[in-house]
Amino acid sequence: MKTVLVIGGGVTGLKASYELAEMGYNVSLVEKEDYLGGQVAKHKYYKLAPDMRLAGEVIDPVIKSVENNSNIKVHKHSTITSLSGDAPEFKVKIKNSKGESEETFGAIVVATGFEHFDPTVKQEYGYSRFKDVVTNAEIEEMLNPNGPTKGELKRPSDGKTPKKVAIFQCVGSRDKQVGNPYCCRVGCVVSTKQAIEIKEKYPDTEVYVYYMDMRMFGRGWEELYGKAMEEYEVIFTRGRGAEVTLKNQQLSLRAEETIMDRPIQHSVDMIILAAGQAPGEGTIEAAKILGIKQNEYGYLAPKDDFLSPNESSRKGIFIAGADKGPLDIENCIVEGAAVAAKVASSLK
Amino acid sequence: MAENTDKMVIDGVELVGIWKEFMPSRILYEDVTTEFLNEVKKLPGGETIAKCYQCGTCTGGCTLPEFVDKFNPRGFINLVRRGHYDLLVSDYKELVWKCVSCNRCTHRCPKGVNTQEVVRAIAKFLEDRKVFGKLTNDEAFDEVFMDEVINDGRIDEVKIVKDFYAKTGRLKEMMSGDQLSLGFKMFTSGRIKLFGGKIKDWKKVSQRLKEELQ
Repeated sequence: MKTVLVIGGGVTGLKASYELAEMGYNVSLVEKEDYLGGQVAKHKYYKLAPDMRLAGEVIDPVIKSVENNSNIKVHKHSTITSLSGDAPEFKVKIKNSKGESEETFGAIVVATGFEHFDPTVKQEYGYSRFKDVVTNAEIEEMLNPNGPTKGELKRPSDGKTPKKVAIFQCVGSRDKQVGNPYCCRVGCVVSTKQAIEIKEKYPDTEVYVYYMDMRMFGRGWEELYGKAMEEYEVIFTRGRGAEVTLKNQQLSLRAEETIMDRPIQHSVDMIILAAGQAPGEGTIEAAKILGIKQNEYGYLAPKDDFLSPNESSRKGIFIAGADKGPLDIENCIVEGAAVAAKVASSLK
Repeated sequence: MAENTDKMVIDGVELVGIWKEFMPSRILYEDVTTEFLNEVKKLPGGETIAKCYQCGTCTGGCTLPEFVDKFNPRGFINLVRRGHYDLLVSDYKELVWKCVSCNRCTHRCPKGVNTQEVVRAIAKFLEDRKVFGKLTNDEAFDEVFMDEVINDGRIDEVKIVKDFYAKTGRLKEMMSGDQLSLGFKMFTSGRIKLFGGKIKDWKKVSQRLKEELQ
């Protein structure tokens, strides 16, 4: 069977579909939203670290190549509802607004990705209680010229440009209280990137980053971190944000400056929460329908983390991208290509 | 009653409770600012302060901590950068000056901070803000020495000792037996002269020096 089902139209799913189609497979791409591009499109990501390249520049060609490929059938606004049969003949029911249809596939690629952590549960940070406490995804939308504020950084409460901005790292990551003891892998670099973007546009605005560790392990990330300190005067303070309150009608944060052993209170105009990654609902649902193993946090578990990273616990079902754990866009594209190669070799 | 009685009310329930009403505030420092960082950055030698990422290589290999307990270049940079001015003045103002300029920190810095110069710049920054009420002996001697060089072009031992004691308000101590007899011994053995010689046309050089140091 030279047909492959790809679940998820994000970066990973798009790349996997394209590579498989180029190798001559018939691909059905199922996406639950009515657009392709996943989280990148949903939250209108503006620029990508570390090169400050427009996200559209990276994602648009991938979307176009998928939409223009005659080997790929894109099912938007669709979900899978059931699976029967085994490799290499899976019978999958695909549901959309018009109804359900059953199709047969030789292999399935799960690329259901992640969702941004919802910081409402960290109530000490006041998200959804204070208007001026926002998430990093909301900042992406704000900084994007096609976003709701046309690229202007504005305080949600009064529409003014903030003079002092604080960024809290590790919101919903490295935090056992919310069940996510893992690192989100992208928060540090995204915050650094956003801090630079803010400083570039508003040189008079002071940006403070409250962190536990700056984990700049990616290509060019460490250099970006240096640049933020040296050229843009972003102030990085070691100490996790502890709480946010209102003091004289201004946001006031508390944290410890751990390097000098000093608890501090700091009044700012706006607080950005660098919310981490959590397994998306789609990932959890897909795991249930397809009967594949998840790890303790809900992400999909590879058959062998070292030796077969793109194979799920079930033969013929492959996994890739941020549904296996937090991942950045660059590596999602690598994952998409890798899983395509793995599928191809298993279907030959 | 503590000052920070800021409240956290959710759905009409005060979460933090009455604790803040009678527990003293834990906050040691309020309102972080980049004001001081920008000031030090503009001083000669302070340009590289923003590069520091607080690894501590400088303090780890510093010559001084063995002799001066709390000497900590990394700490000075951090205090300035985060605007902890109060702590810098209360705990470190005397220490910043003790740097011996061995430059081990500068050579080892992985981020390219010119640490020794930055420490000097921080010292200068504090001096400009006149945080040193009374001069220490070291500083007083430095000043007298420099004045002498600039005014006369050479050191006159008797004059410098006299000026030093005058500057630190200890003229009486100088006239006490010990110092006087030591001075007499040195005079009779030819170690010091009563009147130092003058340098020809030094006035012009002195004028020029003063202009340059303005």
